[in-house]
Amino acid sequence: MRSPKFLHLVAKELRELSASRSFWLLLLFVGLLVGHGFITAVGLYAEMSGSGGPTALPQGLNSLDGVLVPTWGAYDLAATLLFPFVAIRLISTEKESGGLKLLLQLPGTMLAKLAAKGLVLLLAWLIAWLPGLAAIVLWRSYGGHLYAPETLNLLLGHLLRGLLSGALGVAAAALTDVAASAAIVTLAFTVGTWALDFVAAGRGGFVKQLASYTPTAALRSFEQGLLRLNALLVIVLLSVTAFVLAAIWLQTGRMIRSRLVATLLLTIVAAGSVWGAAHLRRSWDLSENRRNSFSAPDETLLRRIDQPLQITVFLSPEDPRLTDFEQNVLKRLRRSLAKLEVDYAASSRTGLFESGDDHYGEIWYELGGQKVVERSTIEEVVLDQIYQLAGLSAPERSVEDGFPGYPLAVESRRAAAIFYFIWPLLVIITWWLTNKK
Amino acid sequence: MTLLNVERLTKQFGARQVLSDVSFNVGSGEVLGLIGPNGAGKTTVLECLAGLLPSNAGALVYRERQLSLADRKDILFYMPDGILPWAQQTVHWVLTFFEKLYRRTPAKLAELAGPLRLEEVRRARLATLSKGERKRVLLALGLLTPQPLLLLDEPFDGLDLRQTRDVMTLLRNESATGRTLLVSIHQLNDAARVCDRLVLLNAGRCVAEGTLAELQAQAKLADGGLEEIFLALT
Repeated sequence: MRSPKFLHLVAKELRELSASRSFWLLLLFVGLLVGHGFITAVGLYAEMSGSGGPTALPQGLNSLDGVLVPTWGAYDLAATLLFPFVAIRLISTEKESGGLKLLLQLPGTMLAKLAAKGLVLLLAWLIAWLPGLAAIVLWRSYGGHLYAPETLNLLLGHLLRGLLSGALGVAAAALTDVAASAAIVTLAFTVGTWALDFVAAGRGGFVKQLASYTPTAALRSFEQGLLRLNALLVIVLLSVTAFVLAAIWLQTGRMIRSRLVATLLLTIVAAGSVWGAAHLRRSWDLSENRRNSFSAPDETLLRRIDQPLQITVFLSPEDPRLTDFEQNVLKRLRRSLAKLEVDYAASSRTGLFESGDDHYGEIWYELGGQKVVERSTIEEVVLDQIYQLAGLSAPERSVEDGFPGYPLAVESRRAAAIFYFIWPLLVIITWWLTNKK
Repeated sequence: MTLLNVERLTKQFGARQVLSDVSFNVGSGEVLGLIGPNGAGKTTVLECLAGLLPSNAGALVYRERQLSLADRKDILFYMPDGILPWAQQTVHWVLTFFEKLYRRTPAKLAELAGPLRLEEVRRARLATLSKGERKRVLLALGLLTPQPLLLLDEPFDGLDLRQTRDVMTLLRNESATGRTLLVSIHQLNDAARVCDRLVLLNAGRCVAEGTLAELQAQAKLADGGLEEIFLALT
């Protein structure tokens, strides 16, 4: 990979990238999107930090939720709607112009040629990060607080999101004849994952597990300061699979049958690897306010429970209590308990027309043959029920959660000039300089 | 001495038979012309040989060794007709890219620059070139590659009379260095002037192979030109 020939291929892809209008449009729009997200987020953060609201509100404020996630949300949009076109262009142009016929004959394997494209796409994604990084620097210059582990975790999430988007674009372009078809395939995939997210809400089992690896859902855990080993590995594996799939289908000299067999083998290997990776439960709570974890004494006690806990939830997907229960209890229990099974038993989507006979609103806990029914979704109440079933005494709990909160009422100084004027101007000048005859 | 044997090459696109048992030999250092009417399968033969299209049957034997798909790019290079690769790049960059990738000396590129009149388009983007200019650049790329066998699809298409003569001289000079050329040509007069031997394809079949004299004998036209031979045999 470090041979001079490979470096020449990388240089060629860089030239092609700089000639790509979709890349420059990505840079132009991403700056505007980041700017809008940042200015709005800083304004809201300032409002929440100022006087007039509940006193507890400023104490719970943190930069991750308040500024970083909404600002970098622009990259989720860019990875969905803009970046795939940069990736598609790198393949489709060569297919449509006949350049692929030359590329296939150049020295190096198809995988090396795609690796060069992948490397350049990664670089393109990192260049597109410049406005986002500028926003972080600006926030710091305002006196905003940053917690390095959760910030870096967020960046890792967006790196993986971009990698997956790029890889899907490359695979779609390799599988289709023209860029327009590749764009349709990529957008269909994205809409499909949104549908999966929607269907999986409030459901358990395989669908729920599958939905936790959609690009949006996987990114969400990074946005919440959680680094899940399985999400990281699954995204990397899916991205590598997409590149290998592209390598298989770009080799036009192979019979269709041979390419289908290779695709089948790849699917089997990828599915096995993803299945194995999905079962790795290791995760790290990198959020400063430890939002993904119970208190240390509770975590210690929960780890002592080795029997399987079965939870049956009679709450519909659109019931806000289920959202609370998922966020504050189930997400943490999944990290703390060795064996946990959750069954979503509500029969309707809204819960509006369920009767008392349907047990609506109840949550059943079963452990070691014993069962209790509870309606509360409050963390302490739930934990006490579980300890009771396990025959354990609840630990002493501290009233203070130890997170000070970082209120900051500032204006987003210089941000509008940077994101709405300097950045677009910089992009246009660089485009002109690199593309002038 | 035979460099390459093409043995019973067969290709179908769905139910349509495009090549049927096409067999011929390519001698070392010769310019072999692949001639035939439109739709005869000339480009398909070249693309199958280059490994860009899968053939349904047949083999490629290079110096008595069967060539796998992976081996082909070490032995031969194919320059297709009518392509516009890397359209936004300048001619200079594309030529330098090939020069560096194949570790060719600047002298080789300088040698090609005159006959192919590359200097006048050096700073232009490929997308802005005329058909003839683009053809000259593509020929230069092909001639910059080091493989012992070079396949060229319609090398004179889009060139004017003077340029055609220059390119013919260039190809003859390339052949004189020991490199073998397999060129597909639909202009029979051009083919007769530049090729050592000819393979005549018709409807996906190889109907004749040999020097002009051998083809004349086969067509029983002692003084016939290639056009008469072509009409007699197809």
